[in-house]
Amino acid sequence: MKFKEHVLMELKAEIVARNKARRLLVKRRLLAGAAVAGIAAAAAVAVPFLNGAGTPAYAVTKNTDGTITLKINEFRDPAQVEKDLAALGLTADVSYVKPGTRCAPDRGPTDAGPSFSKEELSSKDPEVRKRMREAIENSPNGKAFRMGHGEVRINPQYIKPGQTAVMEFTENEDQTSGPEKPRALWQFGGYLVTGPVKPCKIVDDPSWSKMPDPRTNPEAYPPPGS
Amino acid sequence: MRRRQANIATDPEAFEAFYRRHVDAITWFLARRVDDPHTVADLVAEVFVAVLDSAHTYRPGLGSEIAWLYGVARNTLSAERRRAFKETKLADRVGGRRPLDSDDVAQLEERIDAESVARRAFQAMAGLPDGDRAMLELVGIDQLTISEAAVALGIRQGAARARLHRARRALRNVPGIAPFVMEGMR
Repeated sequence: MKFKEHVLMELKAEIVARNKARRLLVKRRLLAGAAVAGIAAAAAVAVPFLNGAGTPAYAVTKNTDGTITLKINEFRDPAQVEKDLAALGLTADVSYVKPGTRCAPDRGPTDAGPSFSKEELSSKDPEVRKRMREAIENSPNGKAFRMGHGEVRINPQYIKPGQTAVMEFTENEDQTSGPEKPRALWQFGGYLVTGPVKPCKIVDDPSWSKMPDPRTNPEAYPPPGS
Repeated sequence: MRRRQANIATDPEAFEAFYRRHVDAITWFLARRVDDPHTVADLVAEVFVAVLDSAHTYRPGLGSEIAWLYGVARNTLSAERRRAFKETKLADRVGGRRPLDSDDVAQLEERIDAESVARRAFQAMAGLPDGDRAMLELVGIDQLTISEAAVALGIRQGAARARLHRARRALRNVPGIAPFVMEGMR
């Protein structure tokens, strides 16, 4: 049947397009300073957070070591989050975007971050993953943003005057979670922009749906709350 | 082993070989479940897009390629049904209606007709619990082995056997479905 040949041609073109896009995307993800964490797929370099029952919409805390903890529970009122962070002396730009979308990557000058080969990105070797994690953590964006325990920890020590802490959260429309149904509730990208920050222009993010299925790939999902 | 699979998503030649190996089985799989030629053709494309998305989830040690692929096809189909329900739009480059010429339509309709018995069987199974029904579909209608069906559904073999047993027992007296309930025992 002819349509099968058409479909094949479309898909081969798609593979070529994706190979190009993947190189760009991987760079963008790493540039976003997202940590590698316990996620199997290279495409999912950005960290999905798992969250339990609902508590306040968000919490901003100043820690004794000078870092600021931002814990988001509900995706509303990003302007208030920015104000609360400003009260702690941090210039921030917070965006909440819908699943399957993201902010267009060119929001202002930022550090390109470390780059990795395809082999490194798909490697399961703990040594390689550790090395990648350290490279990301030691990059300017990685030092400014740390993730874990469902929180973002921002370190103003690594943010120079004139830089804005740009944070993009992708929310999942299904906000329910639990031990029997762990799933990615949100995804985070944080990076520093020097000078004015362009507003978030929403574009499609085909990689969102690339999260492995939690039923067939439980190993790709850290336990809820981690 | 992982490398070989990773190639399917990134190497057009490797993908072509994979596609040619399985495109007929997937077309028939879909024709058993969907009775519109255009939707079948679109879903064939979508299943293989999903293959590109999830090639990294294939573990050769866990079962045959076709079992894994049927799992992908099932997920694609249920995603499509959810999407049709919500009437949201495809955003993917490969997504969307493709024009079928009259030969394509005729051949797909022929295949869809040939699968009408299977579609009636699906209707008879509609009352079963989801998991039990899925097992009976894959084994009785799609002719997978029990262990292949277990892989496609991401469940253990023991659970697969239990589900199949329950489904067969529930339907053994339904007229017209008996061949699907009892056959496909391999």
